[in-house]
Amino acid sequence: MSTSLIPPESLARIGEILYGPITVTINEREAQRYALAVGDENPIYFDESAAKAAGYKTKTVPPTFVTHAMVIPKPLSTLRTDGLYRDGTGVRLEVARMMFGGEEWDFLEPVYIGDQITATARLAALDQKSGSKGPFVRQVRETTFVNQEMDTVARSRQIGIAR
Amino acid sequence: MKQQTIESISVGDQLPVLHKSADEAQLFLYSAASFNPHRIHYDRTYAEFEGHTDIIVHGPLQGSWLTQFVTDWAGPASRLLNITWQNRASAIVGENLEFHGSVTEINQTERTALLSLEERNRNGAILMPATALIKLPSQNTLK
Repeated sequence: MSTSLIPPESLARIGEILYGPITVTINEREAQRYALAVGDENPIYFDESAAKAAGYKTKTVPPTFVTHAMVIPKPLSTLRTDGLYRDGTGVRLEVARMMFGGEEWDFLEPVYIGDQITATARLAALDQKSGSKGPFVRQVRETTFVNQEMDTVARSRQIGIAR
Repeated sequence: MKQQTIESISVGDQLPVLHKSADEAQLFLYSAASFNPHRIHYDRTYAEFEGHTDIIVHGPLQGSWLTQFVTDWAGPASRLLNITWQNRASAIVGENLEFHGSVTEINQTERTALLSLEERNRNGAILMPATALIKLPSQNTLK
């Protein structure tokens, strides 16, 4: 029997809100900066007539940009030595390191410049598994993005692998 | 931009390979645009201290390259419905990366196509395996 890497108080947090709800207005300049930093010059992000010709109401944004639009700015005093922000929402695990395992995205409705998007992230799953390199924890953080018309526009599941 | 339709594609079709390579300036801009201060993306000494061979390409940047790979091929009147990727190995600054993909399933009723995608490095190692589901217009609905 391997010991549990997931303390009972962390297991009890499954389903808990980790972030939000937070509402942000989708800003044209930020979305275009993002697209250009990616190197994605799709005209539907830059040109109103191209977006309309493609069946959109107005200019849209790169698919996963919504998650970056939600980043809450924090003071420099909260930066750790690795450059990440101190964050009180982390789920406590008996592990040395958390790595990105991947992401799953559902895009349900277009996101437009000027939309007011509300994001809420939940701890969706926390499972201990055994792999070739020993036991690890698979953490799923699910974020739902809802627009001003209460339509769910996107859902993301970020998989964290902790060992 | 070219536009695919549900009639124009077949199972087994290969997407044109997308080449990407991010230099320090692009990684800096991506950190800024995503408000990400993590040192592994700009501080070589720190990245090496963490055991990396060089500055690391952001995972979400590679995710956005995957969505660009699909939407560039599918055309602006198509709609990306799902993308799922696994972070299998890191990419480093200046590394030549290739995106490969093919059509694996077509649903004529839903007008959707399932794609199998891979981000590979120069040695052919798969850094990010992925799948995408995309809805395509019909030839009849395009003017």
